[in-house]
Amino acid sequence: MFRLFGYFIEIIRGILITARHFIVNMVFHILNLFGIKTKRKGAFTIQYPEQKTEIAERHRSLHRLMKREDGKPRCVACMLCETVCPSECIYIEATEDPDPEIQKYPSTFIIDLSRCCFCGFCVEACPEDAIRMDTGEVEFAQYNRKDMVLDLESLLNEPK
Amino acid sequence: MVEIFINDRSIKVPEGITVLKAAERAGIHIPHICYHEAFAPEGSCRMCLVEIEGHLCLELACATQVKEGMKVFTETENVRQARQGVLEFLLAEHPMDCPICDKAGECTLQDYYEQYGLFESTFMEQKERKDKNVPLGKGLILDRERCVLCTRCVRFLRDITQTEELGVFERGVYSEIGIFDQRLIDNNYAGNLTELCPVGAITDKDFRFKTRNWFLEKGASICPLCSRGCNIFIEHHPGFARFDVPKRVYRITSRVTSREKDQKEKGYWICDIGRYGYSYMDQDRAEKIVLKQGDSALDPKKAVTYAADQVKKLIYKNKLNRLGVISNTWLTNEELFLVKKIFTENLESQKVFFPTTAQREADDLLLTSDRTPNKKGAQEIGFSLEAISEGQVFDGTELLFVFWASPFDLDQLTGLMSKIKEVQTKILFTPFEREWNKDFDLVIPTAVPAEKAGSFTNEDERIQHFGPVLYSPGQARAEWEWLVSLGKEIKVDFKSYARLSSPFDVFQMMKKKIKFFGK
Repeated sequence: MFRLFGYFIEIIRGILITARHFIVNMVFHILNLFGIKTKRKGAFTIQYPEQKTEIAERHRSLHRLMKREDGKPRCVACMLCETVCPSECIYIEATEDPDPEIQKYPSTFIIDLSRCCFCGFCVEACPEDAIRMDTGEVEFAQYNRKDMVLDLESLLNEPK
Repeated sequence: MVEIFINDRSIKVPEGITVLKAAERAGIHIPHICYHEAFAPEGSCRMCLVEIEGHLCLELACATQVKEGMKVFTETENVRQARQGVLEFLLAEHPMDCPICDKAGECTLQDYYEQYGLFESTFMEQKERKDKNVPLGKGLILDRERCVLCTRCVRFLRDITQTEELGVFERGVYSEIGIFDQRLIDNNYAGNLTELCPVGAITDKDFRFKTRNWFLEKGASICPLCSRGCNIFIEHHPGFARFDVPKRVYRITSRVTSREKDQKEKGYWICDIGRYGYSYMDQDRAEKIVLKQGDSALDPKKAVTYAADQVKKLIYKNKLNRLGVISNTWLTNEELFLVKKIFTENLESQKVFFPTTAQREADDLLLTSDRTPNKKGAQEIGFSLEAISEGQVFDGTELLFVFWASPFDLDQLTGLMSKIKEVQTKILFTPFEREWNKDFDLVIPTAVPAEKAGSFTNEDERIQHFGPVLYSPGQARAEWEWLVSLGKEIKVDFKSYARLSSPFDVFQMMKKKIKFFGK
């Protein structure tokens, strides 16, 4: 009997907490609505898919590969990003470039987004500033795991 | 023996050795780039400068002989400054393209900069541009910008192979390594130049840009491609969690053991046949046990039972003289011993045939004319390789065991195939997926030498043990495993096989039975 009583107490307490948040936030929102400045603001909520917040400048978003002036990838396939990647989501295969100034370029460059933890180590490690995570793209959910694997072509032509 | 002091530590060394070697014995590393143990000191890099008490200037550790009571200091301020200065000059014209250099990660210049340099570059000028892609022949590519002119390559071709294809051209700052008048390097030891080069100036096409060397794991093994049995490292990629790596083995490098250091010209090198002939470990590997009749997928136990049943049939009929074996000298000592134990001792078959391997051209350095690793071992175990002729093996044979571990010499088995086909039941142990596999009743996949433990006896009668470096693919197991379980299953001498669980156990048994291995 006593146990059942405690159960109801907890439910009522929970309802009270929810009600408190609701009333407090509503009071602040109404006050702000009429232009009365308060020390504290109401809880921040946006209607996500329609409304979007601004992404911070240094936010680590979808990767992109930089291009040289002539459109070739800036990457020299040194595989330092592949080495440093903690989740082993980068795979590179290198090929010989006929141009002796470049010598080495990636024929395959794969990033598996479903595995990537967005630590940004690849960007830090890159000696050529060839990979960046500044596209501002954060919505890349897919229905299929295969579609989460980006290849060289799609990484080079990332919108920015 | 003389007593010298290195950093106030007393050490006794034999007379006449250099300070650098003496320091190495004391466990003190003196940085050196141009010096190599196999050559006479050159003294062109100036990295090994040390302070010696009573000498006016810094001395070259690689070229100074020890004297009684000599006091050497390797870590004083003077020495450190000198090293930094030398490094700064070496790096002044070095292109710093470590990201695309195959040597990065194992480059002496890179290591020494980390250890002894760590200065900021004071050069404002543009670095000089030189040729970055000079073909030297045999797939070697010279990058003149990276070259530090240690002349190790020149000395190697002059002293070891004595072919002298490379030379230093021009003078002073314009000096460069080059070939004489379009005459490309063409000797069997050219691959050593990539390993010998302390920086990434000489790279070979076989490994160039394929991967980075820090991804590779080194496994010690023995080269099975000739009867010399050089010590090698098999450098293989352990693979990534999510991506398939195109191959496992990326390169083979020489492994210097303390024993081989004594033979100066031989211990440090491996030939190009051994260095570049590693593709067989990944290509055309047999992974599944295939039984010709019935279901193709078969578990190992059933396969062994099938093979043992064939033998038992002959035992019941008392017709063991109809059992033939084609063996080869690619098997390890342990496996050959098991072949002998099972087939000639337990089953009393006299028909163990070794196909004669073609003798090929040897050279006077390492490569031998016999291109199988264990001919000597087979002889010592008690097989007389020429005693049984081809005709005797097939004479009235009903059951034939074929061991074929060699990735080469394909025409030999093709020559025998017409006769093998006529045999009633034939069982093949092979690591490779070849065309003739479908003619056998049972194909059992086995391991290549890199995947198994065991020992080879080389031409100089040296027994060389090695361990497994790679995993064998699929259902493939080493021959000794199959042979032991076959021995158990035949049940003629169950007790002795039940004790064998590793090649080491087999070797212990060999030691007791054969005098040569008991030494």
